[in-house]
Amino acid sequence: MSTLKSIKRWFWWHRWSSLICTLFLLMLCLTGLPLIFGEEIEGWLNPTHYENLPKEMPKANLDQMVNIAKARYPKQYISYVFVDDDEPQVLVNMAPSHNPVDPLRHALQFDSRTGKLLKDEPPADKMPATFIGIMFDLHRAMFLDLPGELFLGLMGILFVISIISGVVLYGPFMKKLDFGTVRNGRSKRLKWLDLHNLLGIATAVWLFVVGATGVINELSTPLFGIWQITDVKTMLAKFQGSPVAKQDELSSLQAAYNTAQKAVPGMAITSIVFPGYPFGSPYHYLLWAKGNTPLTSQLFNPVLVDAPSGKLTMVMKMPVYLRALELSRPLHFGNYGGVPLKIIWVLFDVVAIVVLISGVYLWIVRRKFYEAYFNSLGNED
Amino acid sequence: MRTNTFKKVWGMPLLLAILTLFGLLAALLGTGVWYGLAWLALLVPLAIIVWKAGAR
Repeated sequence: MSTLKSIKRWFWWHRWSSLICTLFLLMLCLTGLPLIFGEEIEGWLNPTHYENLPKEMPKANLDQMVNIAKARYPKQYISYVFVDDDEPQVLVNMAPSHNPVDPLRHALQFDSRTGKLLKDEPPADKMPATFIGIMFDLHRAMFLDLPGELFLGLMGILFVISIISGVVLYGPFMKKLDFGTVRNGRSKRLKWLDLHNLLGIATAVWLFVVGATGVINELSTPLFGIWQITDVKTMLAKFQGSPVAKQDELSSLQAAYNTAQKAVPGMAITSIVFPGYPFGSPYHYLLWAKGNTPLTSQLFNPVLVDAPSGKLTMVMKMPVYLRALELSRPLHFGNYGGVPLKIIWVLFDVVAIVVLISGVYLWIVRRKFYEAYFNSLGNED
Repeated sequence: MRTNTFKKVWGMPLLLAILTLFGLLAALLGTGVWYGLAWLALLVPLAIIVWKAGAR
């Protein structure tokens, strides 16, 4: 390495991958900052005031909540029920159709211990926008749904290329300098080149991990789509010809929950997808269960319970690519190591912003600076 | 000559890379004392930045 031609080639890759993605990466870093503490911020801005009840109090029956929901909206479908393990709430999600993004979809919030209806939320197209909601929609897809997700995924790939090429370039740029040298003389460009290199190399692994997991997260729709048309389709083929479970002929949800829980002891069931919802099965309740160790709490196993009869069908295995997606979430969000880890995430995010902006600055002032610098690097062999 | 240059250029970056990787994984796979170790490990690159960037 380190022939002038080789340096110039790596530099070309670094410059162009960076330039194209920088604006979007800046948006991602800036929107990412409040998102790191997103749950906490939402908790301050839109808190739910729960009754103070003893922790050991048994949970209310889910069927009771389903019946209240169906009584209020008899002509609608239940899409899925979310059983929160952070707050004592159960959310029954309903919609007039099976469209997962039906603008009239809405949720009913129940207290998980008393079964009381706490809030009948307005439909999606009337829900007030929240600060964190806006930050999240901007960060994930720039309000453009799947095309936005895929575009930002592409920007993430360019970011990863930029990091790798940056690390490769670090070698020749630092041959004659001690680690961490920041030349603070008259040339502002030299100072910022040194800072860009120092901050970049010190945080390279974090930038790479958060960048790469960001790309994988942006692929969740296609990855889940692949799963639906492969494993899930194969599994459902066995039930071809069975009647599609109608929502007014379903067996008890609570019973299905209990049956599933027995099949995965020690795991926590967090959501139940009803028959008819596209991301589920036409014939089953699809229950998602997560583990109870720091690692396994990120890994979900789907349990299928036959909807008309309530009998356990199977616990499905998840393919490797979905496991990778599941692990990409904590590593991207930084939400798995307590508040100190979140603070660390904020600090690295700020460093990333400085690396990005200094990179743009160095490009703006490039001209004569680089010609002379490159030639001096190339001559040093 | 070559190995000395390699160590000089890549010594610290490799150390920081290993500490970062350790920190990220320790908090994911462990609890309790591993959290503390993870936080410490991840603070090292940040501290180095403050030290070197702030030096006059």
